Amino acid sequence: MSISVLPALDASKKAVGIFVVGLIAFVIGYWVNRNYFSDATPVQPIEFSHRIHAGENQIPCMYCHLYARSSRVAGVPSVHKCINCHKVIATGRAEINKLFNYWNEKKPIPWIKVHDLPDFVYFSHKRHVRGGVQCQTCHGPVEEMNRVTRLASLQMGWCLECHRAKKVENGRDCWTCHK
Amino acid sequence: MLNLNRRDFFKLIGAGSIGTGAGFLLGESMKNPVELLIPYLIPPEDIVPGVATWYNTVCNQCGAGCGVMVKVMEGRAKKIEGNPAHPVNQGKLCPLGQAGLQVLYNPDRLRNPLKRTGERGSGKFQEIPWEEALTTLADRVGGLSGPGASDRVHLLSGRAGGHLDELFSRFMDQLGSRSYLQYEFAHPHNLYLANKLLFDEERLPYYDIKNTQYLLSFGADYLTSWLSPVHHGLSYGHMRQGRPGRRGKFVQVEPRLSLTGANADEWVPAKPGTEGLLALGIAHLMVRNGHYEGDDQDKWSRALDEYTPERVSRQTGVDAQRLASIAEEFARSRPSLAIGGGTAANHTNGVSNLVAFNSLNYLAGNLQKPGGILFNPPSDSPSLLSASPHKSQAPYARLLALMERLSKTKDSLLLLHHCNPLFNLPDTVEIKAAFQNAGMIVSLTNFMDESTMMADLVLPTHSYLESWGDDVPEPGVGFPVAAISQPVVAPLYDTRAAGDILLLLADKIGGDVRNALPWSNMEAYLKSAWKRIYVEKGAVIESSTFESFWKAVLQAGVWGETGSKDAPGVRISGKHLLSQLAYEAPRFAGDQEAYPYILHPFVSQAFHDGRGANLPWMQELPDPTTSVVYGSWVELNPRTAMHLGIREGDLLWVESPTGKIKVPAYLYPAIMPGVVAMPIGQGHSAYGQYAKGRGANPIQILAPLTDVKSGALAWAATRVRITKTGERVEILKTDGTPRELGRNITGKRITMIPIDASPGELASNRVTGPNKG
Repeated sequence: MSISVLPALDASKKAVGIFVVGLIAFVIGYWVNRNYFSDATPVQPIEFSHRIHAGENQIPCMYCHLYARSSRVAGVPSVHKCINCHKVIATGRAEINKLFNYWNEKKPIPWIKVHDLPDFVYFSHKRHVRGGVQCQTCHGPVEEMNRVTRLASLQMGWCLECHRAKKVENGRDCWTCHK
Repeated sequence: MLNLNRRDFFKLIGAGSIGTGAGFLLGESMKNPVELLIPYLIPPEDIVPGVATWYNTVCNQCGAGCGVMVKVMEGRAKKIEGNPAHPVNQGKLCPLGQAGLQVLYNPDRLRNPLKRTGERGSGKFQEIPWEEALTTLADRVGGLSGPGASDRVHLLSGRAGGHLDELFSRFMDQLGSRSYLQYEFAHPHNLYLANKLLFDEERLPYYDIKNTQYLLSFGADYLTSWLSPVHHGLSYGHMRQGRPGRRGKFVQVEPRLSLTGANADEWVPAKPGTEGLLALGIAHLMVRNGHYEGDDQDKWSRALDEYTPERVSRQTGVDAQRLASIAEEFARSRPSLAIGGGTAANHTNGVSNLVAFNSLNYLAGNLQKPGGILFNPPSDSPSLLSASPHKSQAPYARLLALMERLSKTKDSLLLLHHCNPLFNLPDTVEIKAAFQNAGMIVSLTNFMDESTMMADLVLPTHSYLESWGDDVPEPGVGFPVAAISQPVVAPLYDTRAAGDILLLLADKIGGDVRNALPWSNMEAYLKSAWKRIYVEKGAVIESSTFESFWKAVLQAGVWGETGSKDAPGVRISGKHLLSQLAYEAPRFAGDQEAYPYILHPFVSQAFHDGRGANLPWMQELPDPTTSVVYGSWVELNPRTAMHLGIREGDLLWVESPTGKIKVPAYLYPAIMPGVVAMPIGQGHSAYGQYAKGRGANPIQILAPLTDVKSGALAWAATRVRITKTGERVEILKTDGTPRELGRNITGKRITMIPIDASPGELASNRVTGPNKG
């Protein structure tokens, strides 16, 4: 009596083939997500363009992000601040109308954070700005972006790279950022 | 693989799509959650996002009146610290004070007015709008006011200091009712009365622990709960280590070693209730050995004649030799100080005990001396004086009278304000009946506690961090001090401050009541009161206008008139002491045969009188002596436990003549064998998710005995018996074993080195380990 192993082998070959196809598809799926559905460039509730404001019109960063020099956070401009200018400038455009809708309903604009650090990281804009770090060092050439995109990874290695290069005092101490 | 059949083809398609999907989802899952960046609509001028503002206010977690500064960021309170400028706590703060944030943010905060829908006590409530709640109440109160209102309208408040107290008085006066009382379990009624009897001053003096050389404390757990623990902690540190070359000695007399006792040089366990006798025995020796040289020496000698060391030693259980050495040291140390509190002041002879302790201070010449007892000068500003928090406090006997009137009068109304008598009073028939029979109960509070459960109408109040108020710390600090508490954040919920509720009610009642209380809110009322202070004290206030004065006080968190002053109202004479001196033996509820152990309840650091039990931080704070968390326990001497066959964790019935509670055993070597101790604060049947159903409440089984002189509840005068239930639980605690296991932690074999030892002596007094000893 002889038992043929060939049908079984054939079946396992097929299984391996299916697995390999699945694996390749998995990698493709991941790659597509990372490259075409990235969260580095979120769509904002209003198509605000930094290129127009900071680039073409040369408005200084800290005109709107007015706490960067004095606080941990840089601050987003209040709706009131936007309205102050746009009462007279560029009125009637679709995106400006959106702004006025928020204002009329007395609702703040739910901007989506582009640069976000986890809660266990202590980061102070004040320190960096007063230490002479340009906004663009971390945020990239925002004045050329229509929709802001995150270029830096904001990972710890990336922070340390700069701290090392600039020989920041206590810049490699755990407690400097994790406190 | 080329000869693909239909079935395999579909399998491949399936694998491909599942793989792609899974890969996509993995990428998706690795993204940070979307965080929003919400701007202000119109930015408040005084807020810089990310930068904290510190507001000064007053802590309201106990009666000490510490100043606190609250860290506020973007309108949210984030941290509480002590106010360095406040003379009571000088920048320090206790854990209960730190946990004030959990009062503010507690998920069990009451957020809307509630109306009872089910049976009284069923806990069934319905949310109603403020307008309806206030109109209902105003109609009711208005209808009940007028002649004879004292029987019909009652206001029972927890501790309410400063001008809130005054507002309560005014409001009740306008209604024609004199039935306004405050009740706090730990309020030192007996101490006030003892001071009144001896010095004609119904205020607390300043116990100058800081500068004393020899501190003899009878049961006063001054480092955790007595009067003003944060201030005492500072003073204690100074007494022991703040004076180079001079370390004050400290002896603690108490039947159970408290945290304070654990810090003492000597712990003297005297039989509960005989502390006064012990003091008189010490006084006897002081006079007999010629340490007192006053004109009335003979009178003292006669009065103290009967308290011979033999008798005192026999009745207190304290060795005669030890008695003699304490008397000698107390008399010879300059200055020395005797204080009394805790259970020693809360037996049926509490006042009499306190008189005896003060006789020691008189004989040793410690009155009105630095390092002894300093009397607080009365403020020459009537407005400040009127803010003294004691006058409305009611001892147990008066409270019972209120309960009786409440129970017997038809259509009576009980207004409760931050007061929980059903938890903080013994579980007696009268109190239960009063709550059942009352015509209407209205509770103004933050939380659904046991008493609020019985209310017909619940009016949620602001937490103290959201309210206006002021406070005069008691005990004072030797000079007039007052502090304003201001709201540090905007109210979180649709609540009202208690003062505002009263003023709104007055407005709704109309007529004379409205005319007498014309202020629009508590802030306006407070300002008008402080304007009086400003006018009266104009001479010593630097600010040129009231507004600048007001702002300066708010900014500093406290206003005080520094500089030492005399206390002219105080009468220091031996005559009064002598007339009050006779020792009374303590009485106990329960027959010694049937109830062999004396119950020693103690106010815990974390929960105070139970109000801290709904704060998670306090639940997880290990008790300082036992390290137990999240529960109750009863402390037994290991010898008692061995006698009864009890191990740690055995669930026991602790039974008094009036009730019984179930609680696990904890073996504590530092308690007298005839005494069992229980912390106060747990055992809530309501009061929110963190407090409810945890541990047992010893107040519940206290017999309603009172002090013979003051009528205050004698909460240390109950006998109990202990029986095993047969069940066992594991006591949650953070320490491991109470044994040293040869590690020489307590340093039994360490030779004590005198503080002023020379380097040579230091070298010769080498620390010896267990093997060399």
